[in-house]
Amino acid sequence: MFAQRADRDRVGCGAQRRRRVGYRRATRLIVAALLVTAAAPVLAHVEAGQATGFFTGFAHPFSGLDHILAMVAVGLWGAQLGAPAIWLLPLTFPLVMAFGGFLGLIGVGLPGVEIGIAASAALLGAAVMTERRISLYAAAALVAFFAIFHGHAHGTELPPGQSGLLYSLGFVVATGCLHAIGIAAGAAHRWPSGKVALRIAGGGVSLGGLYFLWGALA
Amino acid sequence: MSRFGRFAVHALLAVAAALLSPAALAHDSRPAYLQLTETTPGRYDVVWRTPLMSGMRLPVVVRFPEGTRNVSGPAERDFADSIVERRVVQVDGGLEGKRVEFVGLEATITDVLVRVQLRTGETSTTLVRSSKPWVEVTASPGRFSVFTAYLQHGIEHILLGVDHLLFVLGLMLIVRTPWMLLKAITAFTVAHSITLAVATLGYGHVPEAPMNAAIALSILFLGPEIVRAWRGETSFTIRNPWVVAFAFGLLHGFGFASGLTALGLPQGDIPLALFAFNVGVEIGQLAFVALILLMVRAFRILEMRGPRAVQLAPAYVVGVLGAFWTIQRVTMMIQGG
Amino acid sequence: MRRGERRALACASTLVAALTPQLAHAHLVSTGLGPVYDGILHFALTPEFVLPVLAIAMLTGLRGRAHVRLALVALPLAWLAAGIVADATAIAVPDALAWLPLLVAGGLVTLDLRLSPRATTVIATLLGIALGSSNGAALAQAGAGVRGVLGSTAAVFVIVTLGAATVTAWQTGWLRIAWRAAGSWIAAGGLLLLGWTLR
Repeated sequence: MFAQRADRDRVGCGAQRRRRVGYRRATRLIVAALLVTAAAPVLAHVEAGQATGFFTGFAHPFSGLDHILAMVAVGLWGAQLGAPAIWLLPLTFPLVMAFGGFLGLIGVGLPGVEIGIAASAALLGAAVMTERRISLYAAAALVAFFAIFHGHAHGTELPPGQSGLLYSLGFVVATGCLHAIGIAAGAAHRWPSGKVALRIAGGGVSLGGLYFLWGALA
Repeated sequence: MSRFGRFAVHALLAVAAALLSPAALAHDSRPAYLQLTETTPGRYDVVWRTPLMSGMRLPVVVRFPEGTRNVSGPAERDFADSIVERRVVQVDGGLEGKRVEFVGLEATITDVLVRVQLRTGETSTTLVRSSKPWVEVTASPGRFSVFTAYLQHGIEHILLGVDHLLFVLGLMLIVRTPWMLLKAITAFTVAHSITLAVATLGYGHVPEAPMNAAIALSILFLGPEIVRAWRGETSFTIRNPWVVAFAFGLLHGFGFASGLTALGLPQGDIPLALFAFNVGVEIGQLAFVALILLMVRAFRILEMRGPRAVQLAPAYVVGVLGAFWTIQRVTMMIQGG
Repeated sequence: MRRGERRALACASTLVAALTPQLAHAHLVSTGLGPVYDGILHFALTPEFVLPVLAIAMLTGLRGRAHVRLALVALPLAWLAAGIVADATAIAVPDALAWLPLLVAGGLVTLDLRLSPRATTVIATLLGIALGSSNGAALAQAGAGVRGVLGSTAAVFVIVTLGAATVTAWQTGWLRIAWRAAGSWIAAGGLLLLGWTLR
């Protein structure tokens, strides 16, 4: 479905129209994500998620993995979209993520953090799989939206009593490195076989994200 | 951060500070020295030497673990620059695995060199810093700890020996090619290693006051040579910096040796301590050279040229400080007899 | 030993050192590294200071040599002056504002705005005052005083020189983005530090 629409996009219109369509589409994605996350107020407390059931308990050790998948997907997607997205996304992400962490630290609640993270992996993976081309700003907005969830999770998971700055830098830099891995892997986009491999990888990320989403919702 | 990491940081950053703030050079703190020699089980001869800082006593007290009593002493003797206290103590169950504390050390910038000789003949040397003012006596063989302690001493000696660093800087300002720099630095290293060994092992001795004055003179000597080199003139020194580096390096080696003997040497491990100290000096010196080369390269990249006065500033710093120290030390030599 | 006593002792020993004819001192063996080195080390081990200074190096390095040359004068001088004032008067920028320089300097690197040399110099000066002031207060508390401030000033000069030269030499294409990403990391760290402060 995504692929079809993307084709129509490419065939049909000039840059301006494409951007407008892109905006609409990104908005729709964000709304969808909001709906999904709002549907699960039960999971509002990240730590308590541990006790809610077998699936969440099972997923907890992998709670890093959904983050990893989403980060790598950001890099891959950036590489597919090419300049300037390839560098705009990694520049935006840490800042917005820090904002999410900031919200978490000062105690502003964010519902469905785990779902947001899992959904981000699923959607970003799908975007890579379908080589979805939306406008730069829409892409940045989408990534930024998800970055808040990632940051918020970190904010609430930070162990107290340590050097806040060093700890924060640690995970910001780690996130940046994950982006870099994605971007480096995205270099395969140059070759036809590499393009296929990237889309397969995107599919894998998306599946992983869906799996976590299921885990978070169950 | 590891100890060596910290030293690397010291080495790199410190040196620049030393160059930029000659007003801050007056710092001095000689270490105190504690020697514990086990004579019979649980009984130790104690030698505790504390430096006098301009006639003032170091406000540090040695505290032995529980169950320690004095068998004889303490007996004190005053020397010109230090106080030596001797006593014999009996420790129930021996000192092994126990702590000897230095009360008051944390408020000073002094270190204590602790040398423990057990009845088994094992010796260990530890450097106690004000940040961790105690030593744990262990029965472990101490060769490695001797090495690291004296390596640290070597690095610290060169870092605080601004006169040595200034001489190296002077050399670096005179040489023109990397090859000349390599030759000059190597010559300096070889020369001061020779005299350091000669003096430490007791084959030669130079009275301290004239030696210090001569070291100052060696720096003063470089000032005019740098200006000459920058004006494009030439001289024997400018053509053959390594010869000058070698000749004055012999002198600086005696300076290092006086530093090393002031520390006190572990009796059984003199060659090892000497080697470690020398390695430490080289590490500090190479770090300094590396920092200067990096800064020069950075200035070139940034196209920092500045007015002529600024360009000649390093030469004048070397010359003026060299002259200042020369006068100071000659005065001291005459006054001190 | 209480802090007051320790400080009194530190003051006394500094006084003694200052009054002592500085004769052989330049050469005497020392193993304590003294206040100058304390100042350097304190700066080098405090990310709240090093990171904004590095960010200034990146900011000016990305803008051009003229910016770097001005900042190399302005930043250390501001740092030194603010440090001496803080040391003497105990008036300093509170630690609770440590996030601000990180956020401002890192954010400016990320944005990569076309600032004028005057603007970067003003920014470098303001940050120098803010950072140098809290550094000076910290050093005064540790008993390192003006000598410590001198040491840290030298360290700042060295770090900015080396950092800015590195950025100047390597800033084509991808590398420019890499510096900006590093800037965004610093800014992100600042934002999170604010969160920690408010927590």
